[in-house]
Amino acid sequence: MNRYRRLSVALAVAGVLGVAAPAAASAATTTVTISGATASYPLVSLLAQKYVKLFPRKYRFKIAQGGAQIGINDVAAGRVTIGDVSRDPLPSDPAGLVFYPIAKYGICVVTNKANTLSNLTPAQVISIFTGKTRAWSQVPGATATGTIDLISRTSVAGVLTSFQTLLLEGKKVSSLASELSSEGLLRQAVENDPNGIGFISNYGASLGAVNSVSFNGVACNQTTVASGQYAGIARFYEVTKGKATGAASAFIGWIESSAAARKIISSQWVPITQ
Amino acid sequence: MLDRLRNPWSDNRAELTLGAVSLLICASVIGMIVFVFIRAWPIFEHNGLSWLGPGGSLKTQLENMQATSVHPPASAYHLRAWPIIYGTIITTGVAVVLGIVIAVLSSIFIVELAPARLRRVAIPVIRLLASVPSVIYGLIAMLVLVPFVGNHLISSPQKTSVQNSVQLTGEGLLVVTVTLTVMITPIMIALICEALAAAPRSWREGAVALGLNPLRAMLAVTLRAIRPAIVAAAVLATARALGEAVMISMASGASFFTPNLSHGVPIFLYEPLRTLASTIIDFSEGIGAPALDSTLYAFAALLLLSAFVLSIGGYLIKLPLRKYQVRA
Amino acid sequence: MSAFVPNFQAAPPPSSKRGQRSSPWTWRWGDRLVLLCAWTAGLGLCAIAAAIVIYMGYRGIEYLTPSLLVTRPAISTSQAQTGGILDPLIGTLLLTAIGIALAFPLAVASAIWVAEYGQVGRARQAFARIVESSIEIVAGTPDIVLALFGVAIFQLGIFAPLSFRAEGGGVYGRSFIAAGAMMSLIALPPLFVATRDGLRAVPMHMREAAFALGKTRIATIRRVLLPSVRSNIATGVTLGVSRIIGDTAIVVLLLGKTLHIETQGSTPVLGLLRGTGSSLTSYVYDNSPAGEGAAPQKAYAAAFVLLLFVLGLNLLVDRIGRSNAQSTGMSITGGVV
Repeated sequence: MNRYRRLSVALAVAGVLGVAAPAAASAATTTVTISGATASYPLVSLLAQKYVKLFPRKYRFKIAQGGAQIGINDVAAGRVTIGDVSRDPLPSDPAGLVFYPIAKYGICVVTNKANTLSNLTPAQVISIFTGKTRAWSQVPGATATGTIDLISRTSVAGVLTSFQTLLLEGKKVSSLASELSSEGLLRQAVENDPNGIGFISNYGASLGAVNSVSFNGVACNQTTVASGQYAGIARFYEVTKGKATGAASAFIGWIESSAAARKIISSQWVPITQ
Repeated sequence: MLDRLRNPWSDNRAELTLGAVSLLICASVIGMIVFVFIRAWPIFEHNGLSWLGPGGSLKTQLENMQATSVHPPASAYHLRAWPIIYGTIITTGVAVVLGIVIAVLSSIFIVELAPARLRRVAIPVIRLLASVPSVIYGLIAMLVLVPFVGNHLISSPQKTSVQNSVQLTGEGLLVVTVTLTVMITPIMIALICEALAAAPRSWREGAVALGLNPLRAMLAVTLRAIRPAIVAAAVLATARALGEAVMISMASGASFFTPNLSHGVPIFLYEPLRTLASTIIDFSEGIGAPALDSTLYAFAALLLLSAFVLSIGGYLIKLPLRKYQVRA
Repeated sequence: MSAFVPNFQAAPPPSSKRGQRSSPWTWRWGDRLVLLCAWTAGLGLCAIAAAIVIYMGYRGIEYLTPSLLVTRPAISTSQAQTGGILDPLIGTLLLTAIGIALAFPLAVASAIWVAEYGQVGRARQAFARIVESSIEIVAGTPDIVLALFGVAIFQLGIFAPLSFRAEGGGVYGRSFIAAGAMMSLIALPPLFVATRDGLRAVPMHMREAAFALGKTRIATIRRVLLPSVRSNIATGVTLGVSRIIGDTAIVVLLLGKTLHIETQGSTPVLGLLRGTGSSLTSYVYDNSPAGEGAAPQKAYAAAFVLLLFVLGLNLLVDRIGRSNAQSTGMSITGGVV
């Protein structure tokens, strides 16, 4: 009995070693890790899903979120291969990062469905989001009453930076605002709060549960972003440390050139070269 | 010889192996404490102990940390975390105090007052409440309690009165404290019920014989006798409440605001807040930035220290109560 | 007729039948108030539990279809095509398996040592005290701190084979084995306490009989004691499993949160362990309005499945507890203290 037990243990150990040894060698598929913006997560996930379907067993994607700033930090530290970023490069970004634009999107101001505000002038948007105007009664065209509930994003969000640059003329959102950590959360918060007002990408606004507000007379949707009419047009970037190589280069090159990728981008967003 | 084949383990070898495994566990625990404190060290180095106090806007401090990537300057480590420490103290304190009262009353109900059929239902129900995951509590807090508070309890004039300093949306102290109380009470009930059942019946019978009604006898005699168990239950519940991250992250309004008593009682309850644990999980994605990394580990070190202090404190409180010989 | 009958005329005469409790209507107001509060508290908690189950059931059944349980989740811009919850379901089961597989030997071995070998001699008693304190510390540590500890450890270079190295040289540090290892720490205390208490409850004469027959201590443990504490161990395992299933913080930080289970490398089992995925709890957290909010209906369905798991485990503990001859019938804890 003892002898058999020892023999079986030896076999098990050999088996485990035999299985582990190839694992120490290089894997057959390369893993591409991506982290970053929540606004571009649906787009990048769809692109990655399509890529894996077209080129099976070549690359594997692990896509995390966290916010554009997280993506930049992770890429700069070498923790991920590609960073998703939803804002233009800033001077404070670490040196050596290369930004590849992949799509254009619009930043829409949204209110609750019950609040049928149709248009806001730039001055009104600034005054509301910087906290100068606090009551809905002071906003012409708004059907909500009471205090304005500002709903914003956390500081790591690229959409926040883009929003402040493009629609707030560089001013900062008031510190009164609730800071939510993702697009989905912001949309849910505006959906559930009759007094809420926030800003999300045009894809998020198109999901139907919120009221999209025109900016300066121009509606915020895919068409106006494509035509360039809308004022709040920002870009999604894929960011790598140094020029993209290997898997990152293949993926980003595919996004920029292939028809399949363009089709995915055009479904809800706007390709870079129109 | 047959025995040798059938039992290859000698006592010595067995004891050493088992002891080694136990040593492994101790080593991991010590390792955990060491790792957490080492990663938290930069915050202590740059701020001393004053990072526990107030000063400046915690929001901007954390934003600065997130913005610095690989080699942050010393100014990035500036931290004054009082708002979330205050949030932790308030939510945990209120939840535990409320929880003890409710737990004692419910335990008396289960052990003494409930008819047998109801007791058979109540015990599994309490056990169920104790094992429901925090995510589900958070979901219910967000979907049921927050809209209720936001739409029905908070009135428009109340919102307007503080509109220049904070937004009241229903997520905040009230929802968090109520849910936290519901989460920690079942744990306390379990312990107190066991202790009540184990308390010497003769003491209570003596009290009843002297003319007390059964409820009063229980309150006056048995409850005093199981004080060690109540202390143990409170310690366990506090540890659980301190570490609750997910539910609070979902229902607290995620704001670094410090609920302000000067705003008057109803409004004070509606104000958003953050606790240590919920901040850790909210910012966990940013764990790459070195300054933020140290900060999160500093919060974790503080939680670890409080759990430790709690259990020592509980032990010390129970010491003079040993004379009642009720196992706790 | 005794001269020692005390004069009790000051007290009200006992009411009718012998052994009948005093009715609340004769009590003081304060006592009646406490009675009311106790009833409210007890019934209130039962009502809350019922409300939670019913609400989650109502919401979950609205969105839960059997196909959801066997379809893999998919990414899509339309809610209707986001697939099912198969991968998170497998993720939960896998994590539980890894957690228990790691915790079981550790907990049972140290419980045996503490209960059997750690009682004699100063040094051994001191070490037994240290082991018990360590496990108490682990039990009192919030799961978020354990998760951070896991992040600190598994991003060290030495543990790179347990996840993988990203192209920039950083260790990814998130995988099933990483999360499973921390889950085992979560499941350790209930299992340890259950085994230790079970061993302590075995009467001395069973051991003495075995010694008298010439068995060594370890043989006694293997052949006599462990079989008799089987139900305690089963209770401990079930409690550990329910703690693992309900844990979110560790999964959120240590499992990589990929929608599908992604294996790492091509070896069959090891690849899965090194891979990333999601669990029911992180799926609910991410998809609920608190997470990315992408698929709230699916979140309700997943939360309902989670609740069903918990209910099932509770029933199991009940069943085991009832079959355990030593149950006092009042026991609702198997927990840490």
